[in-house]
Amino acid sequence: MIISLLIGLGVALGGFTFQTALGGVNRKIVARLQKRVGPRWYQEFIDIFKLLSKRSVSHGWIFDFGVIMALGGIIGTAMFMPVTSNILAFPSFDNFFIFVYLLAVGMLGMAMSASGSGNPLASIGVMRALTTMVAYEIPFMIVVLTIIKLAGTSSVSGIAEFQQMAGNNWFMIALPLGFVVAVLSLMGMLGKKPFETYIAPAEIASGPMVEYGGKQLGMLFIMHEITVFIEVSLFVHLFLGGAENIWMFAIKYFLVYAGLNLVSNVNGRFKIDQVVVFFYKWPLAMAVVQAIIAIYLGWVI
Amino acid sequence: MNSTRFTERNKEEIDRKWWEIGDYFRRNSLWMLMYCTGCCAIELPPAMTSVYDMERLGMGPMATPRQADVLLVTGYLSLKTLRRLIYTYEQMSEPKYVVGFGSCTINGGIYHDSHAVINRLDQYIPVDVYVAGCMPNTESVMNGFVDLMDLMKSKKADGWKRYHTNYEWYRENQIAALGEVKVHDEFHE
Amino acid sequence: MANIELLILITLSLGLLSYVLYHFSPRLSSALTILGSFFVFGSVLYHGYIGSFDVSSTLLPYVSFSSSALSIFFAVIITFTYAMVSLFNPYFLKTHKAGNVHNLLFLSTLAFVLGVLFTNHFMTMFFFFEAVVWTSLFMIPLKGSKSAAIMYYRFSAFGSFALLGAIFLLKANSGTFLITESLAVVDGAHQLVIFILLVVAGMAKLGAFPFHIWLPEVLGKAPDHTSALFSGGLEKLGAFIIVFALVRVAPVGATFAAIDLAWSRYAVAILGALTIVFGTLMAIRQDDAKKLLAYSSMSNGGYMLVAFSLMNSISVMGGLYHVLAHALASVAAFLAIAAVARQTNTTKMSELGGMIHKMPITYMVYLIAIISMAGIPPMGGFISKWLIFQAVINKGLIFVAVAVFFGSVGSFLYVFRPLAALFLGQELPQYKKTLKEAPSLMLLAMLILSVLNIFTGVFPTPILKVINTVIVEMGMNEVVLTTFTIEGFNGLLHPGLIALVFMVGVFVAFVIFISLKKSKKVGLMDTYTAGNFIYTEELMHYSVDFYAPLERLYEKYIDIARNVYRSLDHKIKEFARLIKYFIFTYKPEITAFWVVLILILFLWGDIA
Repeated sequence: MIISLLIGLGVALGGFTFQTALGGVNRKIVARLQKRVGPRWYQEFIDIFKLLSKRSVSHGWIFDFGVIMALGGIIGTAMFMPVTSNILAFPSFDNFFIFVYLLAVGMLGMAMSASGSGNPLASIGVMRALTTMVAYEIPFMIVVLTIIKLAGTSSVSGIAEFQQMAGNNWFMIALPLGFVVAVLSLMGMLGKKPFETYIAPAEIASGPMVEYGGKQLGMLFIMHEITVFIEVSLFVHLFLGGAENIWMFAIKYFLVYAGLNLVSNVNGRFKIDQVVVFFYKWPLAMAVVQAIIAIYLGWVI
Repeated sequence: MNSTRFTERNKEEIDRKWWEIGDYFRRNSLWMLMYCTGCCAIELPPAMTSVYDMERLGMGPMATPRQADVLLVTGYLSLKTLRRLIYTYEQMSEPKYVVGFGSCTINGGIYHDSHAVINRLDQYIPVDVYVAGCMPNTESVMNGFVDLMDLMKSKKADGWKRYHTNYEWYRENQIAALGEVKVHDEFHE
Repeated sequence: MANIELLILITLSLGLLSYVLYHFSPRLSSALTILGSFFVFGSVLYHGYIGSFDVSSTLLPYVSFSSSALSIFFAVIITFTYAMVSLFNPYFLKTHKAGNVHNLLFLSTLAFVLGVLFTNHFMTMFFFFEAVVWTSLFMIPLKGSKSAAIMYYRFSAFGSFALLGAIFLLKANSGTFLITESLAVVDGAHQLVIFILLVVAGMAKLGAFPFHIWLPEVLGKAPDHTSALFSGGLEKLGAFIIVFALVRVAPVGATFAAIDLAWSRYAVAILGALTIVFGTLMAIRQDDAKKLLAYSSMSNGGYMLVAFSLMNSISVMGGLYHVLAHALASVAAFLAIAAVARQTNTTKMSELGGMIHKMPITYMVYLIAIISMAGIPPMGGFISKWLIFQAVINKGLIFVAVAVFFGSVGSFLYVFRPLAALFLGQELPQYKKTLKEAPSLMLLAMLILSVLNIFTGVFPTPILKVINTVIVEMGMNEVVLTTFTIEGFNGLLHPGLIALVFMVGVFVAFVIFISLKKSKKVGLMDTYTAGNFIYTEELMHYSVDFYAPLERLYEKYIDIARNVYRSLDHKIKEFARLIKYFIFTYKPEITAFWVVLILILFLWGDIA
């Protein structure tokens, strides 16, 4: 048990390191896209450690408690994450729903802390974040329902292994409509450009994060990086056939993350009700159609 | 036994070491809060975008004073904006730095004889770096940022400490310029 | 007290005694109510657990009892709800219009609920059912709203008639009023009608779509702590009836091959799905915290409908566990809101703010309750929702799944709203001086509920084992359980491990937090305002129209169900006036003529 917990913490730490480095690389990529030099690849580390070294302000115990709960919940979620088929802290307990709902603990902690700061802009940001969540989550869950029904298991590593078996395609190919939906949902999850309404720096002053500075903001940055790690690796395992070894995982992860970044950088920003209408129009319809095709008719490539 | 004991002096030593490590991170990741009061603000977009690209220095814009490290005062300050500037400066988390842009923040510039504009920003909040010129060109703005980093490295950018030690003096100047507000209401301030 | 009949009679007489005592000392009367409720709960729990109920009946005529694992399960949940709410009684009696009858009504509903759950005879059950309706009916207007009580009565009467119709058909079908015997032989032409009537009876009591109108009215306008009783206790009687209809009656109608489910059950599942969606959408736009929780009760009732209609051991276990988890969570949430309302005299979120600073324990209770209600680990609601998801995915019910997932994510939205607007945010000046933490008895009730909310989420297997006996009793296979894990259709769940990992994560985060530089404390009004000076707390508190952008998308359509009922109401009134115009005129001979004519028409076949 202790060893499993240590492996889990290792996955969380490794995921944080990997994603933070990749985040810096991606800032570089985006800078090249805009004909700039861009920051150093380890800039994100510098940012986070700088924040942790500053003296911050606190708006009462719930402000701090929420941050701890947020980071704790996310670290806990990351500990369940399989990296490859072998690097997995708790075999057969990496249930898909744990990721979705344990992630929600972290979100709840952050939302609570933001509202506890007493700033109305933070509450508005939280409202928008939750509204975005109700938008992207449903199509995504329907696609995952299809995957679980086809694979016969809700264990994330089990789904990855199912795709690696001979005769089975990756779900990216097997469920093309579902894949498109999942990409859109992933952009919503990561808060990438058309769906970053809840941050909106110029409008609501970065939303939930408006009152944070110093170590609280630093911890939320760590939390954010680990969240991105969880969501992108979930995507890799569900749609790209998981990974046999750690290098394949890194490559797939990098391609997904960099691709999304490039797409998001040529987009504007939706209004919040546009986000909801967008997701409930085509992605939801596509997800349902894909589920009907795959489950009732059995047409899977 | 004596050597492993955690003495007061030892602690200071460790704190200083940590501070130096922190300093490296702080000067390589300066997040700005742009207080665009005057015309010098026009120099910031080119500094941020492709031509000069301040992100390569680790700098970037931030939304609120809580998140920011360096306050950019770009131009003249009327009495009305000065009050808000001080409020904003006090909300920033420490350590914090101030960069004054243009001659207006140094000696009032072309507004030196205006009744509604303060002449020397230094009297109200501590300024770490001035970028002179009316208005300064983008090279000197970038140069100012690099200067700030050098000052931080040599521990001379200690405006926020001076604000603590000389708080009474700053407060006096602030009240002398702004007067005390009797009615707490958004229309009277 | 092992004898059920004696238990019921004693509870009733304690109720009468508390009524008499109230006129001497309200405090003593409340103490008696608390003792009585805990006594009933203790008896049911103890004798239910060791299985030593005495079902003989000697004092009451025509009444007979039996005890089954299902009725014990429901009885434990409902009596526990009563016991917890009874701790709130003493603090609320003074605010009532007729406080003297409250304890009487409280204890007599408790007694009649026991009657409903433990009788083995359909007519007795109907009698007790009506008695519950009539006694609970008078608890609603104690805060001053008669319209809610009338609405409650209308829908309950509708449900009761449906139940009565089903009972008569069952009698005609099987020749007996005994519950188990008559339900076992349902077949032939009556089968569908019986099924529909029973489902309607259960849904009317559960407040499921399309019979949901009464639920928010009653729960919103009943006295603050009584709402908890309705949500956690009386509403669950509906689930009890639903279990009759959906689990104990054999499936009706043809089977959908693709999903391997009888169409009648699929229809119920769809109704459950609609209940979830409508409940969630309405809960999101409420300003009254109690009404919001009422709609959330409705939406959670939809989960129970979906779970029971799927008819396999995982889903039924999920449904039964959801009854328990939702009872615990909603009672805790309602009681937390009641604790706030007791001091502020309002439950409107737009008028409240920053309660956390004076009532931190109440806040934590509410937080734990909503985590469970939203189905987030490590609380009880997660286990039941996980089981229900397993069943839904295994059946491949796509449209139901859309609703189930929507309700689950939507619940984050609505449960967060009271948290942000009522407990967090700016501390409003009108409550700064007077507000205090809730008194100790109320805190005791809320803390017990919180501990159970956590316990049901961390270590659910002892309770799930009890549910397994219920499932086996109903003729299904038991779910595979080990000491710590639950085996679903497509995965294992280890709730304790999730809690442990979460605690490790929080510990790591706490270590990071504590090892860094201490923060400077600032007040709530010292926030980022883009340099503006604002001294009014209300201006800095975001609580009105919290989800306005989302609400705008559907606010045109919210009144459809209500309007349908309103026009139905008009039509019935019109029809009644028509009859009155023709039959009940001022001339008695015409009335007599019509009565004779109608009697002849009715008796035509028998006479000829």
